[in-house]
Amino acid sequence: MGREMSEATQMLATLLSSEIKGDLLTLFHRNPGLLDSIDGVARRIGRTGTTIEQDVKSLVNLGVLKLKKIGTIEVLSLNRTRDREILEALANHIKAIKGREEA
Amino acid sequence: MTSPRSRLEPSDLENQLARARGDSRVKTGIAVLDEMLRGGFMQGDAVLVAGSAGSGKTVLGLQYLVNGIEKYEENGVYVTFEQMPDQIYRDAKNFGWDLRKLEDENKLRLVCTSPDILLESGENLLDEVVSDIHPNRIVIDSLSHLEMFVPKGDMRKEAYRLVSFLKMKGMSSLLIWEAGQITANSFAITEVGLSFLVDTIVVLKPVEIESSVRKALVILKMRGSDHDKQIRQFEITPAGIKIESAFSNYEGVMSGAPRRVASEKFTELFRGASTKHK
Repeated sequence: MGREMSEATQMLATLLSSEIKGDLLTLFHRNPGLLDSIDGVARRIGRTGTTIEQDVKSLVNLGVLKLKKIGTIEVLSLNRTRDREILEALANHIKAIKGREEA
Repeated sequence: MTSPRSRLEPSDLENQLARARGDSRVKTGIAVLDEMLRGGFMQGDAVLVAGSAGSGKTVLGLQYLVNGIEKYEENGVYVTFEQMPDQIYRDAKNFGWDLRKLEDENKLRLVCTSPDILLESGENLLDEVVSDIHPNRIVIDSLSHLEMFVPKGDMRKEAYRLVSFLKMKGMSSLLIWEAGQITANSFAITEVGLSFLVDTIVVLKPVEIESSVRKALVILKMRGSDHDKQIRQFEITPAGIKIESAFSNYEGVMSGAPRRVASEKFTELFRGASTKHK
């Protein structure tokens, strides 16, 4: 239980660590079928490819986003299964915190 | 892919046999349109839906997919280059179509990508979606947007590659094409030769009649099948597209300058004159 909590806390910290990550998560949650290059995704949130590169890497490491090489290009997409798992873990984590506060 | 049913219905068997023979029909679920198509589009055909902005192309595409899932247990993919999915989810809800729910049930995928990615990836981009939900139907919205990313003169070749890929995967496709002016005099809906590449052409067109804009639908071409040749009036209702009767009292509807047929005019004049006389 303690380990799960610390994992969830870490995930939450990563997800909330920058504005760009927030923008990327909002974009992919609103448009879960989006398949685009890093530059293309960057354009959709009003930024440039190089600006979002680090945040993309971090979300790919977390498993929320997938980066797949198709032919000569790298395509970014939402990992629906992992995203659902993370959302569930975070919801449980928040519920647990609320429970502790109420107790 | 589909929800399991305990027993095979006779209609299922008929469908399976027809598919094996290659002569089965893909129903749009819009009753009048299916009648016009003599039962539906031909299985695996590429259908070009051409029309100007606001003519109902996207609604027709979505209705084709949603009906495919809900009425015929055929999964579908909607590929959009222009509109972002969140806007499509919202617009579809206005017609009572919950696309997010259908996606959660693995019956639908709404793919949003850039045309250059699709062109560069050589359709491998759709491989994951195809293996995920095994779609029977696909809508590409739109080929005209794709054209903007294709070097001049290559569009027919690229479209041929895309259509061949979809046919190889056994998908019946609806390819949306934004066309400015479509007249009955020209069967070349696009300037890049797509009219010859596709199997069926459905044209949607706004028509001005008596100071109001009405919508017209006509099947211009259907390879290997008879079809209705009339120009039908249609409306976009809260439940989707509803096709009505033909513009029987008008001629020149496709030219964009419809006028009442002479006999109608005469009857009206005669009626007017006799009322005055009374």
